[in-house]
Amino acid sequence: MSDAVRGGETPSDGGEKSLLAVEDLRTVFHTERETVHAVDGVSFDVREGETVGLVGESGSGKSVTARSILGLVDDPGAIEGGAIRFRGEDLTEGRWDDHRGDIAIVFQDPGNSLNPVYTVGNQIREALRIHQNLRGSEARDRAIELLEDVGIPDAPRRVGEYPHQLSGGMQQRAVIAMALACDPDLLVCDEPTTALDVTIQAQILDLLADLQRESDLAILFITHDMGVIEDATDRVNVIYAGQIVERAPTEALFDAPAHPYTRALLESIPGRTDPDEQLPTIDGEVPTPTGEATDCRFAPRCPEAFGACRQVAPDHQPVGDPDDDRIAACLLHDDEYDESLAQVRDGPDGDARADGGGDRR
Amino acid sequence: MAGATSDDAAGDAPASGGDSPESGRDATPSSDGDGPAAADRSTVLPTGSPALVWLGAGVALLALEAGAAANFLLGLLADMVAATPAPGPLGSAAASLVDVLNGLERGAGDVPTLLSRETLPNQGYWNGERWVGTTAGLSPAASWALRVVLIYAYAFAWAGWAVLGYRLYRREYRAADWTPRDDVVDRLRSHSWGIFGLTVVFMFVVMAVFAPAMGPTTVEQNMRDSYSYELQYWDAEEGEVATTLVGTANQDSQSQGDSNRVMPLTYDDYGRYHPFGTDPFGRDLFTFITAGSRISLVIGLLSVGLSALLATSLALFAAYYKGRVDLGTVLLSDAVMAMPQLLLLIMLTTVLSDTGIGDVYSGGFVLALIFAGTGWTYMWRSVRGPALQVSERQWIDAARSFGQRPRTIMRKHMLPYITGYLLVYGSMTLGGAIIAIAGLSYLGLGVSPPTPEWGRAVNIGQDYVDTGSWHISLIPGVLITLVVTGFNALGDGVRDAIDPQSDSAGGGAAGRGGGA
Repeated sequence: MSDAVRGGETPSDGGEKSLLAVEDLRTVFHTERETVHAVDGVSFDVREGETVGLVGESGSGKSVTARSILGLVDDPGAIEGGAIRFRGEDLTEGRWDDHRGDIAIVFQDPGNSLNPVYTVGNQIREALRIHQNLRGSEARDRAIELLEDVGIPDAPRRVGEYPHQLSGGMQQRAVIAMALACDPDLLVCDEPTTALDVTIQAQILDLLADLQRESDLAILFITHDMGVIEDATDRVNVIYAGQIVERAPTEALFDAPAHPYTRALLESIPGRTDPDEQLPTIDGEVPTPTGEATDCRFAPRCPEAFGACRQVAPDHQPVGDPDDDRIAACLLHDDEYDESLAQVRDGPDGDARADGGGDRR
Repeated sequence: MAGATSDDAAGDAPASGGDSPESGRDATPSSDGDGPAAADRSTVLPTGSPALVWLGAGVALLALEAGAAANFLLGLLADMVAATPAPGPLGSAAASLVDVLNGLERGAGDVPTLLSRETLPNQGYWNGERWVGTTAGLSPAASWALRVVLIYAYAFAWAGWAVLGYRLYRREYRAADWTPRDDVVDRLRSHSWGIFGLTVVFMFVVMAVFAPAMGPTTVEQNMRDSYSYELQYWDAEEGEVATTLVGTANQDSQSQGDSNRVMPLTYDDYGRYHPFGTDPFGRDLFTFITAGSRISLVIGLLSVGLSALLATSLALFAAYYKGRVDLGTVLLSDAVMAMPQLLLLIMLTTVLSDTGIGDVYSGGFVLALIFAGTGWTYMWRSVRGPALQVSERQWIDAARSFGQRPRTIMRKHMLPYITGYLLVYGSMTLGGAIIAIAGLSYLGLGVSPPTPEWGRAVNIGQDYVDTGSWHISLIPGVLITLVVTGFNALGDGVRDAIDPQSDSAGGGAAGRGGGA
């Protein structure tokens, strides 16, 4: 009820023009043994017409964030805190149905997002019927148009085909057409290219960029692939164990990563290291966050961790150019811990050696 | 009744294509370019519109039995109007409507139909030189056999018509040249055990549907009211045609042991032909069995239909909402399963026997309700897994994300995945229900006498099993076994067709006997 008022009082940190503002989102899963804080205080925003990346490893909470935004979190999961504001309205107060179609989602596996018993055209028409109230031949013509828009050749024939008759790339294009049938303002792409091979992946990325230019679509791009992030996004959020650890404009992030985790991620991209050397990896895996954060969750894997990292949960600290709206959640950037930092840090030169974390334990 | 068969057949074809009618429409504009090619492919008939020919054949088949179909539908309508409680002035209007409908029903009864007892009579008598009153002067046995053969030929013609229609649609009208359902159909076609089951079930259903025309005599004449009907016969001692009451004739045709019996495929002393012999009361066993098949099928279909409806709705609902809703249905079904079904059946049939509902369909309706109320849990358990599985598929989330209503998602995106399982378990449960009904009437419960029921035929014949009149119990017993095996075989066939990885030799879900 008081949502609009609150929205007015505390403008979202993304600035005045944000289309979607996720504020301190907490999505938890209550299992019999424990409570998993899959998304633990995530905040970011997406402005009109821009592409924002959300990047992280498997199990870091990317997809749960996407599902939370769409209101698709099922029992035993629940959104227990925070707000998801779409055009200022908090969706978590049961307003998803008011904005159905304004936010559309493209899932990872196109073969699985199309129902195999219905033709592609039928499934696009299903969305058209709900959101544009089109029926019959009108809907059919619009479906063909949409298929043409997403670059499917011979659309009038394809519209009557079943998903299994299309290749993986075609299927993903059809899924995007289905999402576009809702005439969305924001497209959430949850690893849309992961199931496709590299050439198809590039085509889909081009397609998304074209669509964005044509219809001023905002895109939230969720992926684990830093290469895709570099190609496709304007700004990027790095998520680790349910928390945003760094946010920066894409270029700035790739130029000068501020968080050790980001640095490690960038180093593990093939092609950035000398071909003769072994590709650096990050040892261990993402912990499952089962309680409140009392320390830095990356500390056990962090080559630059020092004593305080295991005792204090880091806050978001502004870093870099103040105009860039960059933040990093790392004590390295927190002035309070400068002294201890100087004492503890005795590594060679602070350069992230991704596999060197074990030395300092 | 023939109408019902054609509906089933017609309903089959679109379901197999999923979205077929719409995709068919889709194809029309785009196939402009390959018009001549499409004409070349049309191998059925050179008319260019095989669908019209096919429809014409359907109309012709229907016309053969138009009177009977209209008679049945109007009768059903009249019964429904009569059964609907209408208050005050509406009541009198409803009553007059019932009268009108009954009049129409009688009128429809006068329309000649090919396969009726009137058109092909078998009840005649020998006048010393030839048979009088039978079809074309044939013997009663030949007349009866002709009618039964024609009925089955007619039914198989409908089945062939339906298959032809499906093939025609698949070849000429469907946009896609292959859908996943095609494989299912093809696998079922090459599954000989399943085809055996399908044939048995089909013949059983035809027997039930055409029950009144099938028997050499009728339930009304031969059993219910046998002292109100007369029959003529050749009295050999006097050398003349005599007249007697059917009931009196029955007294002399009883099968009660070694010397006093009328065996299958024989005539009795009154020139009446008994394909399955007579029972201890001199009644015609074949007529008894055809009438009983109709009761079994109606109760079985009603109970399985109701439990499938209940099980499917609960499974879909629980799978979509999960969590507490799912837990609630689990608790509910466990509670229902914990109830002793047989005790509940006996208690409720006794308690409800004097109420209005207890009399509907000779107590068969209550029986169907109890079967459905206690039996849905088994079917629910079988479809819950598949329903939960499909609820995790991404297209459900996709549909939710663009705002499809939950009920439409359940119907459109989840139901198609469990209909296969429903067919399998429905077929097997139906076999179980038939056993249960027979078992109950054997015990003297369930369907109230004198309504014919297979289990009762076994019961009344059991004293003579070790005598010369062994046929009374044996024939219905064998038929029950055959029909239930048929339903289970059909279920096996459908399961193997739907899931190519399942192996009928493993038989994980093989026939579950009914409650009683």
